[in-house]
Amino acid sequence: MNKAELKNVTFRYMPGTVYETLALNDVSVGFEDGKITGLIGHTGSGKSTLVGMLNGLIRPMSGEVLLDGENIWEKPKNIGSVRFRVGLVMQYPEYQLFEDTVEKDISFGPKNMGLSPDEISRRVKEAADIVGLSGKELAKSPFDLSGGQKRRAAIAGVMAMEPELLVLDEPAAGLDPVGRETVFSAIADYRNMRNSTVVIVSHSMEDMARWCDVLTVMADGGVLMTGSCEDVFSHAEELKKTGLDLPQITKLMLLLREKGVPVGENIYTVEAAYAALTEIFGKRASLKRI
Amino acid sequence: MKNISIGQYYAADSPIHRLDARTKLILAILCIVCTFICKSTFAFVALMIFGVLLVLISRIPPKVIFRAMKPIVFIMLFTALINIFWTGGEILLFEWKFIKVYAEGLYNAAFMTVRIIVLIIGSSIFLTYTTTPIALTDGTERLLSPLKKIKVPVHEFAMMMSIALRFVPTLIDEADRIMSAQKARGTDFSSGGLIKRAKALIPIIIPLFVSAFRRADELATAMECRCYHGGEGRTKLHVTHLGFSDFFALILMIAFGAALVLINIYASKYGLGYVMP
Repeated sequence: MNKAELKNVTFRYMPGTVYETLALNDVSVGFEDGKITGLIGHTGSGKSTLVGMLNGLIRPMSGEVLLDGENIWEKPKNIGSVRFRVGLVMQYPEYQLFEDTVEKDISFGPKNMGLSPDEISRRVKEAADIVGLSGKELAKSPFDLSGGQKRRAAIAGVMAMEPELLVLDEPAAGLDPVGRETVFSAIADYRNMRNSTVVIVSHSMEDMARWCDVLTVMADGGVLMTGSCEDVFSHAEELKKTGLDLPQITKLMLLLREKGVPVGENIYTVEAAYAALTEIFGKRASLKRI
Repeated sequence: MKNISIGQYYAADSPIHRLDARTKLILAILCIVCTFICKSTFAFVALMIFGVLLVLISRIPPKVIFRAMKPIVFIMLFTALINIFWTGGEILLFEWKFIKVYAEGLYNAAFMTVRIIVLIIGSSIFLTYTTTPIALTDGTERLLSPLKKIKVPVHEFAMMMSIALRFVPTLIDEADRIMSAQKARGTDFSSGGLIKRAKALIPIIIPLFVSAFRRADELATAMECRCYHGGEGRTKLHVTHLGFSDFFALILMIAFGAALVLINIYASKYGLGYVMP
């Protein structure tokens, strides 16, 4: 079952001017219910436009956007309710923070939904819990937080709306490895708690391979391929043509295979590589795990 | 939001586009002076022809110019009406209760309209349409550089202006992004009363200010890192020189102004057409 689906969607920026650009060209793609889908593609491949379509920020020029099988533009006046069901975290969401405390900022979305104060405070607490913000941080001004904390506060602001479909555009861009880990595990936690569907846009093959169930590769305003990590990464040549690459650890493992080390072909994460290597060489060879 | 164009520079290749920004600044001032020199029917006819020629030479589609005129149609109508009803004179054309319309009033109204139109065409063609904002601030700086002698911080003003212009599109982009982000969190900008709508802007304005200050701070640091210390001893990457065409254009413009003065004098001497008092 697809939670959300695009059917023959086309979109151009600035139509009728010299700056006209084709962002999405007759795109049809589905996002499976309850799965974490990774949307990967080079800059300008149409990822962000596609993501804006999912919650009705951008209206397709032709084609349909379906949520649970219903066209979200059936009644354009009701697009607001679609935005409550589909939560969108934009790139660098920390720039949207504006309230005087983190708690108030997280409750901005739920307040707009018109929920009761009790329900709002429950949601704020749960969302803060998922992203790992403590009560001390909730009382602070969002501008006093560190970069990673700001990012998590902004993501919590969308999670508190408890969307059935959570869409995140480059949620970990510009964060350090620890920050990336916290953000992605918070997203995975959210999915497990709410049983919701998640779409993540990213450049990082390593992160995508580690956290996503399904990968969708975009190139030049269209969908190049969709499938599991194994499926997608087995098309290394095609990925390279669109300016993408395999995860570094996969490339390393392939090199080792060429040199005669009998590691498996489908290794996409450092953890899997660690397991495979210790199996071959024993614990002795890997005393120091980084 | 993306469709807002500031500066309205219209890229084309015309003799006016190729002039030095300094020349165009002076030409714009002369053009304004010319519109105010005109006092007689023939002078205004000459001014109208001048305006049409200017549009033709600049290769800017008349459509674009008309679009720029739209916001000032109201001012034009207003001035014309005031002139029609409030100008006294000798030839009474129409009278109804306290309203009196004189021929002089009609003349004045027509003259003022032509004056405003040429004023707008002249200044916008010489300045905004054919000169990029950066070239314009550069030209202003060089034109005003003699004022540095009396300690006017000309360079600093020009730098401030070009930085401000440079950040207009960036901030528009930023506002667009923040608006989308808040829309995604359920802000509704398009319904409710005035107060509700004004309140809906708070989530946009605060982040926009925060990011503007952050950018200003970063830019200041970056400029300092590159040893920026003001205008003293600073050279330019693109140094423009006044050429033959610049002097030719200036002479042409001055000659046009002189011709207008002569027309005025002859017109009042021999009573040709109507002459404004």
